[in-house]
Amino acid sequence: MKTLMPYATLAGEVTFKVAAAKLDGRDLPLSMLSQQERVVALHQVERQKWDEARLDLRVRIPEAELAEGPWSDVVCVAVLTEGVSNLRTVTRLNRSADGTWVGSPTLARDACRTRAELSVSVVATVDGVPGRIIGGSEENWLVDVLARKPVRQRELHINEVDFGENQKPYEWLHAFKDAPWLVETSGDMPTVHLNTGFEGITELLGSGGSTMEKAVRGLIAAQIATEAWTAMFHSAVSDIEVAEDGSLEWPSGWRDWVLRAMLPDVLPDLSPADALSEIHSRRVETSGWNELQPRIQYAASRRARVAKNLGTAIRELDRSDEGDQ
Amino acid sequence: MSRHADDLPEQLGLLRDAVAARNLTRGVLTGQESPPFVALAREAERIKGAGSRWNVRPLRELFDDARRLHDESGRTGADSWLAPRLHYTLRLTRAEAADPALWNYIALVVAPDYVVWRHLPKTARDGKRPAVTADRFCGPHYKQAFARLWWAAELFRDGDDYRPAVAACRNQDVLNTVLRLDVIDHRPTARAVTRMLEDGIVRTGREVNALATAINAAASTLMYEVLASDEGPDAEAFRYWMDELDMAPPAPRKTLPAGPGDGAIPEGAVDVMATYFEKLFAEAPVRGKEPKDAEEVPIDV
Repeated sequence: MKTLMPYATLAGEVTFKVAAAKLDGRDLPLSMLSQQERVVALHQVERQKWDEARLDLRVRIPEAELAEGPWSDVVCVAVLTEGVSNLRTVTRLNRSADGTWVGSPTLARDACRTRAELSVSVVATVDGVPGRIIGGSEENWLVDVLARKPVRQRELHINEVDFGENQKPYEWLHAFKDAPWLVETSGDMPTVHLNTGFEGITELLGSGGSTMEKAVRGLIAAQIATEAWTAMFHSAVSDIEVAEDGSLEWPSGWRDWVLRAMLPDVLPDLSPADALSEIHSRRVETSGWNELQPRIQYAASRRARVAKNLGTAIRELDRSDEGDQ
Repeated sequence: MSRHADDLPEQLGLLRDAVAARNLTRGVLTGQESPPFVALAREAERIKGAGSRWNVRPLRELFDDARRLHDESGRTGADSWLAPRLHYTLRLTRAEAADPALWNYIALVVAPDYVVWRHLPKTARDGKRPAVTADRFCGPHYKQAFARLWWAAELFRDGDDYRPAVAACRNQDVLNTVLRLDVIDHRPTARAVTRMLEDGIVRTGREVNALATAINAAASTLMYEVLASDEGPDAEAFRYWMDELDMAPPAPRKTLPAGPGDGAIPEGAVDVMATYFEKLFAEAPVRGKEPKDAEEVPIDV
């Protein structure tokens, strides 16, 4: 743990992995677990309805350090949380013969809306005080009940709709019927509405085509992504909450990961917590907010890989020019 | 702008944040005009697998009775009346209750007049006409007019006993502060707080806020779930209660209904947390606390 505590905490690392998972007692295919991304995806096409997922955990804690330190009654627990659904379950793990801690926290489908975070804490009695958190995992897992693929960063949700058609529930898009696309960030998931009524756009963004078409497609995709990241960033910043005691809280859901992903590019010299408070104060105090816009735009264009896509397109143009001559 | 129950759609729907936000005009927030019901009904999405659980009428009747039983000056008191009865009538899984679109629909289509009646400030800032803040219609679970009551009942009840939730809702600062803390998702912690309210150990808003700050700060070094373990509610019993809605009578108006029988919170665990919190509270600084107990005027929020 990085925060300084008024009692002895572990210096060594606590690491864990989800070795396997079961849905209602049946094994989840291993392809739905990603050790690299630390994500479990629970949405199987073949089995849409399920009640309970059981995760098989393997935890390593610094055994040698524990044996020598001032801790007693050591327990290791798995914690599953999700903000919007007020989910918080704490499951005790057991120490196995080889020193790893194992256990099977469960997640009820009814208890979780989209994705829960899974972390591990080590708890012990220190200086006569029971229940002290003496260490915890830093690299946590995500358990996604809606995802089919175990990926951390969700792709943008692309919704293809003809803006001109007054189609339910997208009547509001009618007012924008001459726009090729529109980014919406107010809901659960950021969404790009792609106007299929804009002639040629579906074909252009579809698969196939010449290398030139591919280059243009990359350029447009980068343009859409830049707008999406910029909109998401602003939406996330406006969702930072100030607690009763004046401290700031990270927003929940995708807004959390958007901020965490972009703040290092926007305010590169600050730690995540300091960057959060800096961005919040600049926004509410109005001074310094305008100066920050180029940095936000830069961060968004980096996420959207604008430089790479533009470079490719320019090279393609050069090459086609040479071919013409 | 009160709506007659017969004019309402039969079933609840989902109204996405973007749609809700677009329709929260100044006129709606000040209570001078109604949201455009017909347009909203058209833009709403249907709930998959609709059934009697999504009937609008029992909800609307509940809101009407809440208003009838509480006059304007006692409108904050309507919270503790409505919360358990709303939870009893609108039987949701937590995953369903976490969907803001459902609460948007209730606030904008079913009972915008109730939101205005309950949350319109008496006086306005800077000379403008008083207006309800938009997050009472469309906002996080601890702000939205109906979500906060449903969640308070869900998080503070003790199995089928709604009395602790009633105690929680009698104090606006519990709703405003404690409800948003992650630590109260631990049932013995939530119950320890309501017990301190029932016993009169914490009373004023400032005391509640001081206690909340202390509990939350201590939770960064202590794992409450290890100190006081709780097997958690019985998910199957909750399911059964949800499915039983068709057989259940309407929420009684004079007596408290019985909640889901998904298991009482272990008393020993509550004792552990309450003893600890009392100690924390004794040491916690309470803003504006005088040596002799100064009377505090309850604030109408």
